[in-house]
Amino acid sequence: MTSSLTDGAAPEGQEERQPAGQPPTRNAPDFRDGQPGLFRLLLKDRFAAVAAFVLLLVGLTALVGPALMGDLATKQNLLFANKAPFTMAHGWEYFLGSDSLGRSMLARLVVASRTTLSVALPAVAVALLIGSLWGVWAGYHRGWRENVSMRVADVIMSFPSLLLAVVVLYVFSPSAANIVLILALTRIPIYLRTARAESAELQSRTFVDAARTFGAKPNAIIFRHVIPVVLPTLLTLATLEFCYVMLAESSLSFLGIGIQPPDVSWGLMVSQGRQYLQTAWWLSIFPGVAIVVTTIAANVLAAWLRIATDPAQRWRLALPRKRLIARIPAKEAQP
Amino acid sequence: MLTYLRKRIISSALPLVVVVVGVFALARMTGNPASLYLPLNATQQMRDDFTARNGLDQPLLVQMADYFGGVLRLDFGQSLRTGQDAAAMALRAFPATLQLAATTMVLAVVLAVIVGCWAALKPNGVADRISSFISMAAASIPDFWLAIVGIWIFAITLGWVPTSGVSGASAWVLPIATLLLRPFGVLVQIVRGSMVSALSEPYIKLARSRGAGELRVVTHHALRNAAAPALTVAGDLTVGLVNGAVVVETIFGWPGIGKLMIDSILQRDFAVLQAAVLLTAVAIFALNILIDMGYALLDARVRPVTVKA
Amino acid sequence: MTSSSKLPFQATALRWPALAAVAVFGLSACSVANSDSAGGGAADTVRVVLGQEPPTLEACESNLTSTGVVVRSNVTEPLIERNPQSGELEPKLATEWKATSNTEWTLKLREGVNFQDGTPFNAEAAAFTIDRAVNSKLGCNVEGYVFGDADLDVKAVDATTLTVTTPEPDPILPLRLSFLEVVPTSTSTTEKVREPIGTGPYKIDSWDAGQKISLSSWDGYWGDKPAYAKAEYQWRSESSVRAAMITSGEADVAMGLSPDDNIGDLGVDYPNNETVALRMDANEAPLNDIRIRQAVNFAIDKEGIVNSLYQGKHQVAAQLVPEGIVGHNSGLKGWPFDLEKAKSLVAEAKADGVDTAKQISLVVRSAQFPKITELAQVLQEQLSQAGLNVKLKMLETSQHLTYQVRPFAEDEGAVALMTQHGNQAGDAAFTVDQYMLSTGAQSYFGTPEFDAMIRKADAASGDARQKAFEEIFAYQNDKVVQFAHISHQTGILGKAKSVSYTPNSSSGDELRISEMTPAS
Repeated sequence: MTSSLTDGAAPEGQEERQPAGQPPTRNAPDFRDGQPGLFRLLLKDRFAAVAAFVLLLVGLTALVGPALMGDLATKQNLLFANKAPFTMAHGWEYFLGSDSLGRSMLARLVVASRTTLSVALPAVAVALLIGSLWGVWAGYHRGWRENVSMRVADVIMSFPSLLLAVVVLYVFSPSAANIVLILALTRIPIYLRTARAESAELQSRTFVDAARTFGAKPNAIIFRHVIPVVLPTLLTLATLEFCYVMLAESSLSFLGIGIQPPDVSWGLMVSQGRQYLQTAWWLSIFPGVAIVVTTIAANVLAAWLRIATDPAQRWRLALPRKRLIARIPAKEAQP
Repeated sequence: MLTYLRKRIISSALPLVVVVVGVFALARMTGNPASLYLPLNATQQMRDDFTARNGLDQPLLVQMADYFGGVLRLDFGQSLRTGQDAAAMALRAFPATLQLAATTMVLAVVLAVIVGCWAALKPNGVADRISSFISMAAASIPDFWLAIVGIWIFAITLGWVPTSGVSGASAWVLPIATLLLRPFGVLVQIVRGSMVSALSEPYIKLARSRGAGELRVVTHHALRNAAAPALTVAGDLTVGLVNGAVVVETIFGWPGIGKLMIDSILQRDFAVLQAAVLLTAVAIFALNILIDMGYALLDARVRPVTVKA
Repeated sequence: MTSSSKLPFQATALRWPALAAVAVFGLSACSVANSDSAGGGAADTVRVVLGQEPPTLEACESNLTSTGVVVRSNVTEPLIERNPQSGELEPKLATEWKATSNTEWTLKLREGVNFQDGTPFNAEAAAFTIDRAVNSKLGCNVEGYVFGDADLDVKAVDATTLTVTTPEPDPILPLRLSFLEVVPTSTSTTEKVREPIGTGPYKIDSWDAGQKISLSSWDGYWGDKPAYAKAEYQWRSESSVRAAMITSGEADVAMGLSPDDNIGDLGVDYPNNETVALRMDANEAPLNDIRIRQAVNFAIDKEGIVNSLYQGKHQVAAQLVPEGIVGHNSGLKGWPFDLEKAKSLVAEAKADGVDTAKQISLVVRSAQFPKITELAQVLQEQLSQAGLNVKLKMLETSQHLTYQVRPFAEDEGAVALMTQHGNQAGDAAFTVDQYMLSTGAQSYFGTPEFDAMIRKADAASGDARQKAFEEIFAYQNDKVVQFAHISHQTGILGKAKSVSYTPNSSSGDELRISEMTPAS
């Protein structure tokens, strides 16, 4: 997968891909050699900056929000059920309305952010770690290791994740940790296949050959040379997967086998609120918006990071904005 | 090509068996389904009769041997719930899902290619930003929410399409639209990304300088080479659709295999579950082989080497 | 201009999707979907949408709601039928019946009745039906639900007379017989039959598995021809989609709607016979102390729940059966909401050494009835306010059943199970035997005195029976306290304006199409 936000006109002498013969180095924002730091690059791109800010906000909410909200999220008030949002008449805590048991929507959204992130982030991280390392190893060594790994990936992909979810959640215990386990397990093949494909392709590249000739051990080659090249693609994939995992969690809630009450997550709120769409739309819409906004922000930031962490591409972000959009029209190129 | 095909089919047989064995074992770990199928005040004797009648008191390996013996005779067991032949139930439900998934993916690919190419022509331009945003938003919406809102708006309020069910062509609109959005969103980003890379390759410049029209440049030259990653992802998404159209099938009353699977899981109908999983797994393996072959057809470098006499 | 690659055939990347598209659209032309148009059924067809597809239409499983709602009194008919409004038993395929001895009943059967396959209905068929359902090895659901372990001795005296002998005196045998749907002697005795033949006003036209069931009226029916010539059943699991089908005119009758489905004036409320209660396991601490169980009862704000969650449509319950059931005690007051009393009872028990901090599991089945999740959370909150340590456990059906019926799950600690009970039969014996006997299938515990009272009531008849069961319910609330009753529920039926039908308490179990007429 080679997605990037760069423009089409490549300046002379430089290719999109890593130029052959040049070993990739671990990137390091370094003021000393004249390259701007990562943070300043971020500020230059308005969309990415906004996305980063949104994600920071979500992260902070998940971290400290529940403590701030106290028991507002669980305080029931049956007489106050399904109150409409956008009015300060009942106090600031009911600004986003109240749910079917009279609890503050604002507080519930805040507390749910922690549960949602604590399910989505570990699931993505675990799958990324295991799938990538395994795939890179398989792609590097090729042969039977690659074949077996691919067949294992096939097995996992065609295994009904629902059955796995029902068994794990009900034979063992329904808990967030088990949901993370299932979501991670079922997504490993994605990273596995992508990492293997990229790693297998890299195996024939000159710089890997060179490292082998110099007597570097396979693991060293993998860690120093292969992984840094493969990493940007995998990170892009991880952010797409982050989005998918959040949606999968809400689908599990819809089917009744996800996060269980009294715990609350955005997915569960969307699922429970769907019964009230016509009478109390805010129960389902606000958590849905939260999911959408978080995933879009993650995608935008990831796309930006993709370029910023690729040493061959970074220069594009340092250009003044107008140059980024320039494109040589076909007609001008003709003699 | 044929030897490759044969090798892939053979090497897919073992994973298939692993999947079925896994489902078999996992399903039986959920306990004895007797309570679901017997009256509430059934006696212990009735429970024991039920357990013996369905072979559930045997050790796991014996049950598995019995099952695979039956499979070799093409007997996949009977549904605990309806008494019908499990394979017949799975085979009846599968085409519905397949049609839904296939139509959705074809539409998604076609639309994504169009939008992705359009966005890639002017990277970071207005069209690009808008399509990026829309595609990201499309990929982030929960499908059951979309389905219910869609029913509310288009079926009830506007009355353009039926709310659910399978009768008539207009009944396909909402389910496909709901399933379409996420693959479309993901594919647009992939196509755009790889088109941007492809359009910056030297051979594009060469084609342009030789006077090729823009459309030919895009479709014939760039798209061919950008198709590969899109194809892989499209394949993965199709697999995901076949396995995961459960939600849409449940809401729209679509008699597909996803709904059959979730129902048989919740009702511990082991034979139907195993038949459904087997059928889906076979389809997925076949799909993967097709994708790899398509990949090879598109990119000469990846083709298995054949020596011509 | 040459192309930049040398494929053996000129397949461009775009041809593949094009080919695939053609193939798929071609496939959809011979689609699995029906090609008849959606919406706007014929004027003589009534379209019903259920919550789930019936697993089977086998007549001897018709006490299962999902089967009975299609089959009972539509395709098949019983010998005796219970009138849901009056509670009286009325003749159907049997015209009279009387107890000729303590354990024997004689029934006179209707003449001139035929089955849908043309064979005549007679005592032999009736005897065959009872034998097949109750005495055989088929394992019919109705056997366990209605008759228990006992076998009946049936004899066809002549073509129109039948005797049924019970092992013990059973005053409510006719009521039990009302659950048996009559089938012809040609019905298989070794296997259950998916599409039965009966004497009812409609015969099964077709069952498109997964999609719909079609019934149509037939000419040889012994009674009045029904107003609708055809009936079609479909199913959707989301109640909001079922409501949407009514609103958009795709269906005429929808079962099991929720108050929030916005059905508006197309919805009809009706008492559906279901009662919700918590069932407490007094074998485990802290629920083994009767004060704790009383505290649970006092802590639940039943009025508040009914008013806020169910828009005041449900009725606060004081016992497990609603009005209209033989044995219902209309004088029973039930537990008022008194949080202070609940707290003081808990404190009292604590002072006496009861470990009130021990966890009580509130076990609830997800999606059992509308708003069960909200109800469960409210209960957990209210019980916690009384000073108890309550943990909510939402489970799916199969898991929930391990807590609901014997043998109960072990090592689970103290359990308060949310249970929903619908007494279809109209007699409290069906409830009490299951839920209150110390060995009852759905009972955690009982006492020997209580068991004796119950046995006596089971054998009584007439006014004595009514009084006996009234006492049982009062005794339960006073001395046993296994239950914390919450409410008698009402159901919502969606009904198009073109259909005239009044639902009653058994509509959920037995939806009689012949009672529906086109609205004028």
